[in-house]
Amino acid sequence: MLKGLLDAKRWAALLKAIPEYYIPGFVMTLRISLVGLALALALGVVFGILSTSKWKICKVITRIYVEFIQNTPLALQIMCYYSVLPMVFSSQGFRIPKFVLGVIGVGVYHGAYISEVIRTGIEAIPKGQSEAAASQGFSYVGTMRYVIMPQTIKIIMPPLANQALNLVKNTSILAMVAGMDLMYFTDSWGSNRGYFAQAYFTSALLYFIICFPLARLARYLEIRSMRLPVAKQIEIPAGGEGA
Amino acid sequence: MKKKITLAAALIFGVAAILGACSGGSAATTTAAPAATTEAPAPTETPAPTEAPATAAPAPATTVDLSAPEIKAIIDRGVLKVGCKTDIPKFSLQNTATGEYEGFEDDLAYEIAGVIFGITGAEAKAQKKVEFQGVTAKTRGPLLENGEIDLVIATFTITAERKETYNFSTPYYTDAVGLLVNNDSGINSINDLDGKIVGVAQSSTSKDGFLKYVEEKGLSVSPEFQEFDGYPALAQALASKQIDCFSVDRAILAGYVNEGNHILDDRFAEQDYGVASAKEKTALAALVEEKVTTMLADGTMKAMQDGWGLQ
Repeated sequence: MLKGLLDAKRWAALLKAIPEYYIPGFVMTLRISLVGLALALALGVVFGILSTSKWKICKVITRIYVEFIQNTPLALQIMCYYSVLPMVFSSQGFRIPKFVLGVIGVGVYHGAYISEVIRTGIEAIPKGQSEAAASQGFSYVGTMRYVIMPQTIKIIMPPLANQALNLVKNTSILAMVAGMDLMYFTDSWGSNRGYFAQAYFTSALLYFIICFPLARLARYLEIRSMRLPVAKQIEIPAGGEGA
Repeated sequence: MKKKITLAAALIFGVAAILGACSGGSAATTTAAPAATTEAPAPTETPAPTEAPATAAPAPATTVDLSAPEIKAIIDRGVLKVGCKTDIPKFSLQNTATGEYEGFEDDLAYEIAGVIFGITGAEAKAQKKVEFQGVTAKTRGPLLENGEIDLVIATFTITAERKETYNFSTPYYTDAVGLLVNNDSGINSINDLDGKIVGVAQSSTSKDGFLKYVEEKGLSVSPEFQEFDGYPALAQALASKQIDCFSVDRAILAGYVNEGNHILDDRFAEQDYGVASAKEKTALAALVEEKVTTMLADGTMKAMQDGWGLQ
């Protein structure tokens, strides 16, 4: 196997395969990751905030969503969207474009996790904070915006970054249903030629290229949010009031 | 370590003596060589490798060199490890009740094991001289390359590209690619597949065969191809209408026909199945080649295929 890994001929074959296999796969994975992450964040924020709201019905709905998604495998969910769902609505079946399938698959899945991250982040802020805000005349939205959220961000940044990275890596499950993503093309080329070492090594590198900057960005945001708020310097106009 | 080797040597000698399949000369080679290859210093009088096959008269393939290290390793181990499919009726199907592998390709594996252990195929089967491992189109290559299995006999189509990576024997069976479609799809021939989605197995040659056939026939049919990992996934995608056509070797396709689908008459890309071994194991490849060509020449291969109802 190691001999195969260092074989120059195999690497040459890989170079030739890059435009046809790796570029479209990489682009597809990147697109699914970005749009999927946006969807997951949107769902996460909405359901995360709903789960801390006063209305019971909202809490119930978020619990059902989170528990159902968290406690079933992603592979099974993708399979459902791919083949079960279309058959439920029509006997002829319809086809969900692979891009949409991917976005919904990882978006809904990680949306549930992110909503939990946000809920725990909000609940971690002592109740006294919102009571103090209320005593100062802040509305609910104002309390959230100026008091709760800035503190929550610090707490949730690391687990949120985890979710984002997992989301990127989980797009590879789409390969199972011919998702035209990076993993699909890796399997396709690798198994066709038998040059698995080259195929998977390159694929790993490409996933790393997406994930590593994301991890760095999350770390940067985490550090930035940890800085203590600095009181704004207010310019007091010379010859101001009174004098 | 040394103890182990002596023990193994003694064991092999014992087995060889009991079977009586090898003559005295070849048994001596079997025992002398492991010691020579591992701990070289003692100047044992190892018989010249070329001498051994000449004396091993009862073995069916007389020109085969059994003293090569990779074949020695198999003999020492006591079993030949073969990768076979688990899900292809008549070719290689794992019996769910017993766990046994049953089919034409499995019998071929027993025949080859027979050559290595100096017994007949039937004896090899009775003595369980073959350790089967279930493989798919995707796993058979890596398993062969990392030495997990010695041979692949799993409807493995011979191609020029693959010959660069593995050793292939002379073809033992010729099959064609077929097209499986749903009855309610309205597809009646290859012409109806334009713009449709054709599902093929990863690492299969169906796609290239399809394109070549279409080009030769001058048809303007250009479907979209999607690859899946394994035939059950393909069958499931066809059943849920996510693909319009499931295209793979007809031998494999036959296992997935049900009341809701049928195989089209079009057949193309005649392809040859060969026994594959790792590229560096040339002696093993030569042994396999010898056995396969012998079986093809004396009609036993044909008889075996007929026995399983193939062709």
